[in-house]
Amino acid sequence: MVEKGAGKGLAAAERYYQDYGCRAGELKRQGKRIMGYLCAFTPVEIIAAAGFMPLRIKGDVNEPITKADAEMETIVCPLVRSCFDVSLKGKYEFLDGIVIPHACDSITRTYDIWKYTLNFPYSHLINMPHATDKPSLDFYKAELNTFRRSLGRFAGREISDQSLTQAIRLHNQNRAKVRELYELRKMNPPLISGAEVTRLLVAAVSIPVTEATELINNVVEEVKQRGKVRAAKPARLMVVGGQVDNIDFIELIEDSGAWVVADDLCPGAREFFSDVADTPDPVDGIAERYLRKICCSRTFRERRGSYHEYLEQRFGHIGRSIRDFKVDGVVLYIYKYCDPYGFDVPAMKSYIESKGIPVLYLEDEYSMSTIGRLRTRIQAFLELLGSK
Amino acid sequence: MTEEKKPEEKKKRKTATEAAAKIGPMVKAMIADVLQARKEGKPIAYTFICCCYDEIVRAMDIVPAWTENYAGICGAKRDAQRFLERAESEGFSRSLCTYALCGLGFDAWREQLGEMPPDAPWGGQARPDVMLGSGQILCDPRNKWYQAAQHYIPDVPVYAVGLPWPPYESDYDYREVQDYYVKYIVEELRGLVAFLERHTGRKMDWDRLSELVDLTDRTWNLIWETYELRRAIPSPMGTGDAMNTMVPIVFMMATQQAYDFFKELNEELRHKIANKEGEVPDEKYRLMWGGGLPAWFALNDFNYFNSKGAVFPVETTYRTVEAVYNFDIDLSKISDPLEHIAWRWVKFWTYWYDKARKRPGSHPDVERLIQYIEDYKIDGIVMHEAFSCRTWHVGLIWQLNRLKKIYRDIPSLILESDIVDISSYNEADTRARIDAFIDTLEAVKSKGK
Repeated sequence: MVEKGAGKGLAAAERYYQDYGCRAGELKRQGKRIMGYLCAFTPVEIIAAAGFMPLRIKGDVNEPITKADAEMETIVCPLVRSCFDVSLKGKYEFLDGIVIPHACDSITRTYDIWKYTLNFPYSHLINMPHATDKPSLDFYKAELNTFRRSLGRFAGREISDQSLTQAIRLHNQNRAKVRELYELRKMNPPLISGAEVTRLLVAAVSIPVTEATELINNVVEEVKQRGKVRAAKPARLMVVGGQVDNIDFIELIEDSGAWVVADDLCPGAREFFSDVADTPDPVDGIAERYLRKICCSRTFRERRGSYHEYLEQRFGHIGRSIRDFKVDGVVLYIYKYCDPYGFDVPAMKSYIESKGIPVLYLEDEYSMSTIGRLRTRIQAFLELLGSK
Repeated sequence: MTEEKKPEEKKKRKTATEAAAKIGPMVKAMIADVLQARKEGKPIAYTFICCCYDEIVRAMDIVPAWTENYAGICGAKRDAQRFLERAESEGFSRSLCTYALCGLGFDAWREQLGEMPPDAPWGGQARPDVMLGSGQILCDPRNKWYQAAQHYIPDVPVYAVGLPWPPYESDYDYREVQDYYVKYIVEELRGLVAFLERHTGRKMDWDRLSELVDLTDRTWNLIWETYELRRAIPSPMGTGDAMNTMVPIVFMMATQQAYDFFKELNEELRHKIANKEGEVPDEKYRLMWGGGLPAWFALNDFNYFNSKGAVFPVETTYRTVEAVYNFDIDLSKISDPLEHIAWRWVKFWTYWYDKARKRPGSHPDVERLIQYIEDYKIDGIVMHEAFSCRTWHVGLIWQLNRLKKIYRDIPSLILESDIVDISSYNEADTRARIDAFIDTLEAVKSKGK
């Protein structure tokens, strides 16, 4: 059930966003167990099936990193450093544990730092392969079953197929609702702003999945009432990058005179556009989704066909969003020290530009201190789009 | 044009051992061999170190072009900046792995010209026929670099070998999962053989592979035994030299040349020990290089340490072997060479797990430091944080903190710069920090007297 008082849709999302993790803390006080996790590659279905509420750990762009550096090198992705810093400062002290997938070096290489420094009762690293071939899928399934057994031991109960199937169903419903929300962005002007979407999705990964689905549904209904009253802006932009768990950058774009109508971000399309298939062994469906369906630069896709076809294989989902959401320009918003996305920039840029869509590549540091510089770049990009 | 910048001059570093002094020409010959192979039409593979495929590539008579090595050479010759800048102009961030940036900048430039970039160090890096990436539990660039290189050499196929190892966890022993790790690695290696046969026309010689697997086991044992000799007081060889002798370990494994090199080094060290000949004439402080790749353009810093009476009998960096007879499995009983390689891989990465489990609050990486501190009678630890590499340079601070917590406080120094990008390095600042560290070591020593 979504927060009483102060609105059930956008206003509730605002509250969960501003006081991130408040609902998890509240549930913890009521006896619910909460499992923190990093990254869209954590199979939240398994966590939920074990009876825990999964809580995605987010950082805080407004909070200077003051404690993390005593344990973690500054060459780590600034988002991960911020997440760790706020964790050290007690933001997530109610967690029963943490789950970290092998997503990228910044996450994986800091696993021990998280584990030993924060000393949660439970921790687990899921050793996800990079490749997507059949042996990799089989291996990943075995890893997921190791995680399933490990978490079951900690939970004090085996995770049954039935509870997994139920968790899969609930998360798929949630994803379907997000896709419905994204439909509202296809209109011109979009019925919902990019900042509102990001705020809502960040809120959604901080509350139980059924509540999140209800919250998103409420927002969809609320927004539909708006009709076409919002002013049109000249440019429709798409933002592509890693984890963007604050609205400031999106707001900056929209304050500069454009709509953010599509994304390849998490939380965002990357995380919500693919479902877990209904398979006799539920772990098969989970393995397939996380290894093969989520389109992220950390995953190595085996090439089929020409290099041009390979780019389509890797970035086709971006191309489809450009087409479906009628995107005029794309902003590649990549954090400093992000190896998976950083190495993709030239290929991704040339792929998008081959569609006739201009690209702005920005490297950022997950801090409000850079916002002035970003504003200048965005304004220049919008001028470029306006002159086309 | 940045591309026309001339490299800065670099003086040759003085080595303690004769063996280490031979490495330069060996590397030069290795690069020349790749260029010659290109001329002769032999298949060339871009390769990474520590990826399990040394024996496979050599058994198939495919010539490895070690791309990290070539970037390191550019760095050591202080001639990497123009390639880094070229990569940056292509849109790659300068915060990414500078080995990769140097290689990508070089590839982009070579492909644009249709020939080697002007004055390319040691003749340049030849265009490959295939690229062998790898997906491990560490190092995103191994997964991304060659994929990114395809943007410039789109006709060159990539194979990414999945090479995981079990994480160190509190609630289960790695032996519970090792079988499926090995099974996966074997399948990935089998896929690699098929890929190489398909793209190079070379057939796997399975008998030859078995011979090379055996040669590699023997070389691992010999390296381990040779490095253990450095426990002697005074220590006959330091990390500065080990940054040379890493060449046969990581770039020449599965060759008789690597084995013979270490046989010679072993004899040289024994001779030095018998004559009480140390890395420096008056050994005062015994240090461990406890983590991080070196700044290839500043290896003279090791000589600076030496000038203060500090020696490095041991390092964790590039000590990428253990004695295989110390594993809890008899590798010689495994008849399938690919399975043999896979088990060696898993046993290497889990080698310190059992020991760590016996000490409350410990961790394999920390346990290894403790073992080396005791075996090599270490007074202090030096690490290097290279800004562009998260693979080997994240967790260093934490390891030192943990060491202090579960073992004892030991003087430590973390230097900061990079592996290739010289603009990150300040010699005066580095030397000042080394001086201060030496003062600390002296103070600790005096207190203990």
